[in-house]
Amino acid sequence: MTVESRTTEPAGRTSTLATLVREFRAAREAKVKTNFFGYVFIAPALILYLVFSIWPMFRGFVMAFTDYRFIYPKTLWAFNGLKNFREIGSDKVYWSSLGISLRYTLMVIPASIVLALFLAVLISKVRHFAGFYRWIVYLPVILPIAVTLLMFGQFYGEKFGFINVNLRQLGVAKPPNWLGNVRYALPCVALADIWRGIGFPTVLFLIGIYGINAELYEAAAIDGATALQQFWKITIPLLRPTFLLILVLSSGIVGATEQMMILTGGGPQNSTRTIGLYFYQVAFQFGDLRMGYSAAMALSLGLVSAVLTTFWFRVLRER
Amino acid sequence: MATTTVRRAKSSPWARFMRWASFEGFFTHVVMVIVLFVIFVPFLWMVGTTFKDRLEFATNSGAIVPRRFSLVNYGYMLTAMENLPIYMRNSFVLAFGTVALEVFTSCLAGYAFARMQFRYRDLIFVGMLVSLFIPRTGGLMAVYELMSFLKLRNSILGLILYFSAGVPTAIFIMRQTFLAIPKDIEESAFIDGASWFQVFWRIALPIAAGGMVVIATLSFIGVWSDYLTTFTLIDSDTQMTISVGVQKLRTTGLYESALSPRFRGKFAGEAADATMFLTAALPVIIFYAALQRWFMKGLMEGAIKF
Repeated sequence: MTVESRTTEPAGRTSTLATLVREFRAAREAKVKTNFFGYVFIAPALILYLVFSIWPMFRGFVMAFTDYRFIYPKTLWAFNGLKNFREIGSDKVYWSSLGISLRYTLMVIPASIVLALFLAVLISKVRHFAGFYRWIVYLPVILPIAVTLLMFGQFYGEKFGFINVNLRQLGVAKPPNWLGNVRYALPCVALADIWRGIGFPTVLFLIGIYGINAELYEAAAIDGATALQQFWKITIPLLRPTFLLILVLSSGIVGATEQMMILTGGGPQNSTRTIGLYFYQVAFQFGDLRMGYSAAMALSLGLVSAVLTTFWFRVLRER
Repeated sequence: MATTTVRRAKSSPWARFMRWASFEGFFTHVVMVIVLFVIFVPFLWMVGTTFKDRLEFATNSGAIVPRRFSLVNYGYMLTAMENLPIYMRNSFVLAFGTVALEVFTSCLAGYAFARMQFRYRDLIFVGMLVSLFIPRTGGLMAVYELMSFLKLRNSILGLILYFSAGVPTAIFIMRQTFLAIPKDIEESAFIDGASWFQVFWRIALPIAAGGMVVIATLSFIGVWSDYLTTFTLIDSDTQMTISVGVQKLRTTGLYESALSPRFRGKFAGEAADATMFLTAALPVIIFYAALQRWFMKGLMEGAIKF
C-alpha cells in the first residue's frame, strides 16, 4: 500500500500560489463531483472573514471618498469625490506628520536590519543553545506593546529612569528629559521600537542563513577567503530574498500609531506626531470625528506603502 | 629496573570541558550572552524595580539588582488594584475565545479545502490568500463603524469575532497539515460507512492536532498583546483587557491619601506600576516559553507563503 501524501513545498521559484492556480485550472477541466458538505465546512470561516475583514476593507476604501463624520450618522455615504484628497494637499499637519513618520522609518528600519543581521550571524555560529537564543531574541516581540512602551517610559524617566540615574552617578550634572525633549523624543521612541521588533528580522535572517549550503563556505575557505569576505560575498547576496521579505513586511512602520500614543501622545510640541497618530486623532479624538477624511489619509498612506514596496521589489529583484 | 608510568589519555573534567567548548564556539557564546544582557537591560531593570520599596526606589533607582528586596509592590498590586483581576479575566476570555473560534473554523475549512471536492474550491482558497495582500486602509474606522452597527462595539465578544477573522493564515496551515495525512485511513473509514463529519471528527482532527497547537499559539500571543484595536473598540472598565488596562491602572501620581494606611509611604508609584506591567506580560511569556516550538513552526509556515 503506497502512502500518498501531497506536499506543497515550493520548489525553486514556484510559489504555492502558482501551484494552486495550476491545480485550479486542472480541476476545472476534470468534472469533479460537488460535495455539498464542503460548503458547510468552509462556511463559518468564510463568513467571519467576509464580514470582519473583507467588508471593512471595502468600506474603508469607499469611506476615503466620503465626508463621513461619525457623530453625524446621516453622513454615512456622503460622497464628496476627491475633495478629501485635495484637502490633504493643503493640510500642513498632514505633511509635517508624514515627514515625521518618514524620519521615524529611517531611524527604525536600517538599525533594525543591521542589528538583526548581526544577531542572526552570531546565533548561526553556535551549536548548542541556538534554540534558547532564538527564543530569547524573539521574546520582546511577543510582549504586550503597552507593557514594553510603558517600561521604556519609565526607563527614560527624568528623575528615576535607569539612564538618568546612572548618568548622574557618572557625573553628568543635568541629564536631559528624554521624552520631553524635542530633539530626543523621536529617537527614543525609535529605540524602543527597535528593541521590540528586533526578534522578527533576526529569526527571518536565521532561516535564510540556515538555508545557505555550508559547502559554499568550505569551498571559499579552501580558496583562501577570510571570514569577512565570506560574509560579504556569500551570506549577504544569498540573503537577498530575506532582505526583501523583511523590508516589505516592515513597511507598515510608516503608519506607527501605538508607539506614539502610549509613550508621548504626540510628543513635546508635536515632534512625535506621526501620520498614524494624526489620522487616528482625526478619526477618534478631535472634533467631528471625521472618519471620511481620516480614511482618505489612510488610503494615501497605503499608496505610500505600496510605492515603497514596489521600490524594494525593483531594487532587490531576483536576477 | 626503572618503571615508566604510562601516560593515560587525559580525560579530566577540564580536558573534556575544553573539548566541548572549542575556542571559536565558546567565544561566540560569551559575546552572545553579553549582547543579550545589554539588550535586556530595560527588562531586567523593570523586574528589579518591582522588588524595590519606596526608600530603595528613591535612592537606588539606577541599579538593576536592589540592595534590599521587598515584596510591598506585589502586596499592593494584589490587594489594592481592583480592576486588575477584571482586566486579566477579560484578557484570558478574549485570548481563549479567539483561539477556540479560530481553531474551530480553520480546522473545518482547512479540511474542506484539503480533502473535499466542490466547485470553486480552489478559486475561493486562492482568492482568500490573495486578498490578504490588499492593504486594509481605513480598516480601523470601518471596523469601528461596523461594530457600532452590530452593537458589538464595547464588548469582548466583538473583539473575539474580529480577531477570529484572521483565519486565512490558519486555514493555510491547517490545509497543509491535512494534506500531509495519508489518505488510506480516511478511505477505509469511508468504506466502513462513516459520514464526512465522523471522518473529520474522529480521524483527521486527532492526527492534525499539531497544526491546531501552532494556530492556537500564534493566535493567543497575537491577541493578548494587541493594543490599538482593543483600545479603539473598548471603553468600559468591565470589558477592558489587561494589555490596554496597564495604562489605566497606573498609580504614579496617585494621591497618598487615597491609599489605605497599610501602604502609605511604603512604596513608589513607579515600582508598583512596574509590578503591574510584569504581571500583564507574564501569561504570554509563560505561554510562549511553553509552546515556543510550535510558535516558531507557525512563524516559518507563515513566512513560506511568500
